[in-house]
Amino acid sequence: MTHFTLPRRRFLQGAAAFGGLALAGPLRAQAAVNFQLSWLPSVQFGGSYIALDKGYWSEEGLEVALQSGGPNAPVEPPVVSGTALMGISAADYTAAAVEQGAPFKIIAVAMQKNPFSIASLPANPVNEPKDLEGKSIGMATSNMPVLQALCEINGVDIDKIEVVPTQYDAAPLVSGQVDCLLCWKTDLPVAMTVAGVENTVMLLADFGYAVHSQTYIATEDAIKNDRATLLSLLKGEVRGWQDYEKDTDAAAALTVEMFPDSGLDLETQKIQAAAQVGLMYSDLTESKGFGWFTEETVAANIETLGLLGRTVSEELWDRSLLEEVHGNAL
Amino acid sequence: MTLSLRAPLMTVAPRATMAVLSLIGVLVGWEILARALASTYLLAGPVDVTRYLIDNSGLMLRALSVTLYEAMWGFVWGNLAGIALAAVVVLVPRFENLVQSLALVVFCLPLVATGPILRVLYGPGLGPQVTLAALAVYYTTFVPTVVGLRATPSTWLDLVASFGHGRWKELTVVRATAALPYLVVGLQIAAPAAFLGAMVGEFTGAERGMGVLAIQAMRSLDVQATWALATVASLVSILAYLVVGGIGKYLWPDRPSIIMASPAQNDGAGRGAKWLKTCGLGFMTLGAVLVLWWGLFELFDVNSFFAKRPMDVWSYLVTSPKALEHRLVLWEAMGETMAFAVPGYLAGLLLGAVLAGVFVLMPNLAGLVLPVSIALRSIPIVTTAPLIVLCLGRGAAGTITIVAVMIFFPTLIACLQGLRQAPGQILDVFNSFATSPLRTLFLARMPAMLPAFFASARMAVPAAILAVTVAEWLSTGTGIGNLMALTTSTSDYNMLYSSIAAVTGLSALAYAAVGALERVVLTIYAPEQVR
Repeated sequence: MTHFTLPRRRFLQGAAAFGGLALAGPLRAQAAVNFQLSWLPSVQFGGSYIALDKGYWSEEGLEVALQSGGPNAPVEPPVVSGTALMGISAADYTAAAVEQGAPFKIIAVAMQKNPFSIASLPANPVNEPKDLEGKSIGMATSNMPVLQALCEINGVDIDKIEVVPTQYDAAPLVSGQVDCLLCWKTDLPVAMTVAGVENTVMLLADFGYAVHSQTYIATEDAIKNDRATLLSLLKGEVRGWQDYEKDTDAAAALTVEMFPDSGLDLETQKIQAAAQVGLMYSDLTESKGFGWFTEETVAANIETLGLLGRTVSEELWDRSLLEEVHGNAL
Repeated sequence: MTLSLRAPLMTVAPRATMAVLSLIGVLVGWEILARALASTYLLAGPVDVTRYLIDNSGLMLRALSVTLYEAMWGFVWGNLAGIALAAVVVLVPRFENLVQSLALVVFCLPLVATGPILRVLYGPGLGPQVTLAALAVYYTTFVPTVVGLRATPSTWLDLVASFGHGRWKELTVVRATAALPYLVVGLQIAAPAAFLGAMVGEFTGAERGMGVLAIQAMRSLDVQATWALATVASLVSILAYLVVGGIGKYLWPDRPSIIMASPAQNDGAGRGAKWLKTCGLGFMTLGAVLVLWWGLFELFDVNSFFAKRPMDVWSYLVTSPKALEHRLVLWEAMGETMAFAVPGYLAGLLLGAVLAGVFVLMPNLAGLVLPVSIALRSIPIVTTAPLIVLCLGRGAAGTITIVAVMIFFPTLIACLQGLRQAPGQILDVFNSFATSPLRTLFLARMPAMLPAFFASARMAVPAAILAVTVAEWLSTGTGIGNLMALTTSTSDYNMLYSSIAAVTGLSALAYAAVGALERVVLTIYAPEQVR
């Protein structure tokens, strides 16, 4: 009943790798690994697509399958049950899962700055948290803790904000049903820009909201017993994102090419790819390497997570794999 | 005969003309509305939709072929399961009540919960899509097939017995033949449902298909794409409905008169004994559900982090120190959901029944409105729910409309069947006394309609719950649908499974309650149905 087709690209790649290895020396078996992404295909995972496309993982002896996410595809179940070796989560999601008994560690951080933003229209803009007072905001009710934390950090009276539950869609803002939206900087605002709707974006991370996003998670068991595979997986991933930074347009083009059936628009993907750069790369990653985090960034996260109602310790983060990756790769 | 006796209140026009007229009317109205709302990014008209479809025909065709492929396998497996269950019920009548209750419970399971589990069990591929499509259809095939297998003239059975054949031969030769027309009715309802199931299945992590495109379109503020997808999905569903119906009509011109079974027949026991029996069945079903729930999870060894067992839910809701708090959260969410589900359910039933009455009085109107009704019912709710909410607002009106739309069409069809069922002799008597059509409707046809009405009222219970939770999940962010969706960010799988248990239990109870009401009413108005 299940139906599996090997994408031609991957097949060719496998064949090429096979040929190359055969020439180079003794044949190394490719270990099959599942890597669970957190959403539908888009340039959000551009670095991973590059790693796959350029064969960074097959060089490591891995046959990586990228599993797409979706509205009804939580990341934690496949990772906790071992179906996927590594998954993409966020510090708040991971903290909640750990609270519920999942043995996860955050082993690298793709988005140094959290992508959550308040999007508004220039005629009635939200440039700083104080501007939220007296406005209506469209958001999923599940994100109430995010708004509460933002208000608390910035001394905004949350009772002066009218919360309207909306689906994840820019239409309520554009059609004037709400004054602003809580969304990712990299999706709904980009959609509005492409549709020709000017918009103002206020990044929560610029106002004290420190929550690592697009974090790489693995189980304690995998970190201990499948360490070599995890290291190879991370190595390829890091190389992919290093390439991504150099040419985001190429990453966008590759994404559209790899997923011709996902309804992706090249222009949108290019703008999204560029918008992501400011969130993923910083002085810290320039000096220490992609995915890096420090005691300071972790401490800031613990504080914000506390405001979100999640009590965590620095134990949630484990940098040892990343240290090995960058020690070897750089 | 009855047709010629009805005084046409409208000028007679061929049905096809009326259908074309109604189609043109809908298209023009749609385009005008779209133009009026052009600046709001809420609605794209038929012109824009057509343009989008032409520009993106390759993408659409590929997505459609993927989703159709999933839906087709789901249709096959789901219907095979429905038929097999029906055969079990007829071969081993002792299991009938239990199998029927279990089948209902499984049908009531919310997609939000089954999706992720199926994805983990199947891994990548089409497994969850096909399974969810199958789950969406098996019940509506199972129910009419059981009725069909039973609707065998006793003389046929006597004939088989006189040749010395057993129950198996009786089932495969005689009963199967009798059941075929009933099966067609089930398959007809199943065709659009399978498509919807496949689309929802794609939310569990697919890379292509109509469901994937729908999410992508909504997020990219691509109104043309959103409405183009909704249009294609509904056209396909309508087509599937008509094609399956057409094949059935061609092969077996005699359509069955009553589609759904009436609840368990009276076996002559007293009221007290009947109550005991009902309670016993309830407990037996509950026990079977718990054992299956626990057993299947253990058998497949699904991780208890996200696949909670009955004991986990019990401790979460009853014995843990925070049990009261958990129950309150659940209770409040259920209240919110019911505030939408109950009015929507009642409105849908009422609308269906009233429209059926109107159609009998004005048969030509049926040709005008029926195609629109099929369209409304066939548009997959995952695409319509956000759109209806966008258009009607995220208050009560939007959600109640979604529920009503899901329910009114099957009710309408069932009630029309019932109304036309009124015995000819009775109608002749009314006619000879020159009774007004309205009076005939109320006094002669209405009692004939009641069994069909109640049957669809029972079937509408799970449909209403499905509609309201999907709307809450995708659009309004309230109630139990939202509570279940929250799990994605909170990993609070205990709350998810408590919600599932509450929703499923409530659906089953509501189903039983409608069944009980049905028995009371039918005992008065249609005693032959309850015997």
